[in-house]
Amino acid sequence: MSSVTAARLPWWRRAEDVFAAAVLAVMVILPVFDLGLRWAFQSSVPGGTSYVQNLTLWAAFLGAMIAAREGGHLRLSSGAFAEKWVGARFFGVITAMLSVAVCTGLAWASYDFLIAEMGSPVRLGGWLPPWVFIVVLPFAFAIIALRFALARPAAVERAVALGGAAVAAAFAQLPLAIVEVLVWPAVLVLVLAAALGLPIFIVIGGVALVLFTAADVPVAAIQVEAYRIVVSPAIPTIPLFVLAGLLLAAGRAGERLMDLFQAWFGWAPGGLAIVVILSCAFFSTFTGASGVTILALGGLVLPMLIKSGYPERFSLGLVTSSGSIGLLFPPSLAVILYAVVAHVPIPDLFKAGIVPGLILVAAVCAFGIVVGIRSKAARPPFRWRAALAATWRAKWEIGMPLVAIGGIFGGYMTLMEAAACTAFYVFCTQTLIHREVLASRDLPEIFLKSVTLIGGVFAILGVAMGLTNYLVDAEVPAHAAAWVEANVSSRLLFLLALNIFLLAVGCVMDIYSATVVVVPLILPIGAVFGIHPLHLGMIFLVNLQLGYLTPPVGMNLFLSAYRFERPFAEVCGAVLPFFAVMVLVVLLVTYVPALSLLMAPGQ
Amino acid sequence: KLGSLAPKGSPWHKALEDLAVEWAKLSAGKVRLRIYPGGVAGDEPDMVRKMRIGQLHAAALTGAGLARIAQEVQALQMPMMFRSDAELDHVRSRLMPKLNAALEAKGVHVLNWADAGWVYFFTQKPVVSPDDLKPLKLFAWVGETAHIGAWRAAGYNPVPLPATEIHTGLSSGLINAVPTTPIAALSYQWFGLAKHMTDVKWAPLVGATVITKRGWRRVPAALRDKLRDAAREMGRKLQPRIRKLDSEAITIMKKHGLKVHEVPPPVEDAWVEGARQGYARLIDKVVPGAMVAEVERLRDAYRAAQGK
Ligand code: NA
Ligand code: NA
Repeated sequence: MSSVTAARLPWWRRAEDVFAAAVLAVMVILPVFDLGLRWAFQSSVPGGTSYVQNLTLWAAFLGAMIAAREGGHLRLSSGAFAEKWVGARFFGVITAMLSVAVCTGLAWASYDFLIAEMGSPVRLGGWLPPWVFIVVLPFAFAIIALRFALARPAAVERAVALGGAAVAAAFAQLPLAIVEVLVWPAVLVLVLAAALGLPIFIVIGGVALVLFTAADVPVAAIQVEAYRIVVSPAIPTIPLFVLAGLLLAAGRAGERLMDLFQAWFGWAPGGLAIVVILSCAFFSTFTGASGVTILALGGLVLPMLIKSGYPERFSLGLVTSSGSIGLLFPPSLAVILYAVVAHVPIPDLFKAGIVPGLILVAAVCAFGIVVGIRSKAARPPFRWRAALAATWRAKWEIGMPLVAIGGIFGGYMTLMEAAACTAFYVFCTQTLIHREVLASRDLPEIFLKSVTLIGGVFAILGVAMGLTNYLVDAEVPAHAAAWVEANVSSRLLFLLALNIFLLAVGCVMDIYSATVVVVPLILPIGAVFGIHPLHLGMIFLVNLQLGYLTPPVGMNLFLSAYRFERPFAEVCGAVLPFFAVMVLVVLLVTYVPALSLLMAPGQ
Repeated sequence: KLGSLAPKGSPWHKALEDLAVEWAKLSAGKVRLRIYPGGVAGDEPDMVRKMRIGQLHAAALTGAGLARIAQEVQALQMPMMFRSDAELDHVRSRLMPKLNAALEAKGVHVLNWADAGWVYFFTQKPVVSPDDLKPLKLFAWVGETAHIGAWRAAGYNPVPLPATEIHTGLSSGLINAVPTTPIAALSYQWFGLAKHMTDVKWAPLVGATVITKRGWRRVPAALRDKLRDAAREMGRKLQPRIRKLDSEAITIMKKHGLKVHEVPPPVEDAWVEGARQGYARLIDKVVPGAMVAEVERLRDAYRAAQGK
């Protein structure tokens, strides 16, 4: 949205955007300020960290509201197939009605949670009751429900969609015996609608609502867990790194990085392929699962590859499959989330990821070299002068990871402070030094994109935590561990089964909900077989990394098809050889624990 | 449904399992207690929230969780208030009616009291007197604003941090002192990074098993007394076992290189003096002043009776 159209927006929409951006800005400024106070005066903002943690709740669910407005909620499929099949209008009304029903349920659950939390004697920073932050939950879900309905073009359609609220209310009032009968049909409808293009958070949220209702547990349990994950200490790093990544993508940082790697590695066989992989790795460490890498770099690198003589199919596959290749390197959000859910120290998990991450990059590079030699791709000669000049031009981008990594491992900063400093650093370098991002022109759009993306991710995270809460409540992880212990005899067999299971999970789930829902299931089983928690983390992450490239839910496939305007099936075919290479890496990481434990502490 | 942080297989978890069996027997199978151990139901603040909304009916909590229900509990955990288990036991037994009533008023019924050990300082440099600790970067719970203020008022240097970052913080140098119980220092392996322990009981970490009134009402009225007696019996049996575990943890850590620094009585008075400088920051913010005064009165009466 450019500033021209922004001026024509109704005031409350602008207020919404400005407020969300302000929340995000405070989340950057407060930890940086707090850090300065500690360094200079051994002092701190009273309750500073708790404010930032709770502001994440605001950023997340204001973001979810805005994502509903912008059509930014993640879906498993575009719905084109269903529209052809039953008619666009009918299909649109049905999905809107389901969305309204689920959001009404979630708003109700949030309201219950809000009322219960008003009894808490806890005061943030010594004065602020937590409900002040929690109030955003019922508000946001009510607005989201409205927005799904109002998005329908005709008045009749809007009325039918709003009927979803009545459906939700009726379901909550049904006698338990009837709800129990309706559970599986309701879940089936939601899963079916998921395949046809219902937003993921609606599907997971709906399933959680239905299951809790049938188990006679208050549905507020969903929002208790959403609150727990969103305000947990490491989570504010997610919005902060997303903001840093999008600030970076808005300027010409991508070009400078490409130039840097091109100057140093372009001379080698397969040089340009290596350059693309390294640039993507760098970008995806910050933006990871969001797919920003493909959107930001894709348009730049795909024409370059083809012009240099790489086959078109290979080039498309390379860009698509490199879109999440930095997933294991700090400050990857996927690693942070896994560590939070599995209760392992975040820096330890990052250290464990160094060798597997390098192997993954090296394997894809090796494949690129083979193709580069075979297709006789162009290789510019190496020149010291050019290499040093490119390094100098990219000095601020090179400095960026040093801020985060040096800050954490040097004992200067907490994780949250490192994330805020990174965002602040990127902001300063891109707006004040490079002057490519203009505060007045570009910032509103970057902040809007950030909160939309954050809202999309957190809407899913929140309901996925709710679903996990149901699984724990029903003691599923404990029973599953007992079953596997009784029926699977060897460690090797278990690992193989785990690989296949995770591959299947990766086909149908995104990495965030998979981490939240599946990790609590596999942790107790991994413990039974004596698998090191850090090794288990690597198995999980490398396996789920493949999920980006497997249909039907493969984020990179969608984004690539969308960005390069190619048919979905063609993109799937193009990534196949890369997929095969990555499967080899998955097997290597799974069956050679030493790779994950090499750099990990205490080994 | 009962939540607990105690890991599966720990004495605390076993005691709860025994209680579940006992309750099933006493109620002829009508009352079934499902236990969610090892924090699968979340940390203590999460369990308290789940009790409020009615997902959990009961929880085995430490003072950290209990104070989130009724702040009065914090009065038992004031730093340098007690010198021994005996003092704590005496004061708590006298105070119990008031504490139980405070919790009852907030919607939970106390089944039993049992503590989780004493908090000591684990540091990277030897600490005997408060002046040894003052230059060190001391871990403080993020979000506990009043406590952070109390540390500062007493001249210490707290670094607010989430508990999940203690291990990293100790190895990177972000912090170099942690106040915690020996059981926690051992099970999270913090003592490997902070090899000195100051032998001064800074504060007790109390604990209790509580059930929501809603959950308690679902138990047939005729059974309640019997079930409560069984729970009290569990607490009585558990208490000495937990205390033994505390000293066992110190023994194990000593074998693995922990150095315990004795604190002579005059220096202990300096610790008391220092702790009291922080009281003003806590009283009437996170703990009712009247309750602290009551604890002090009971303790002084006990000390006088003991002739100390
Ligand atoms: Na990432
Ligand atoms: Na997939």
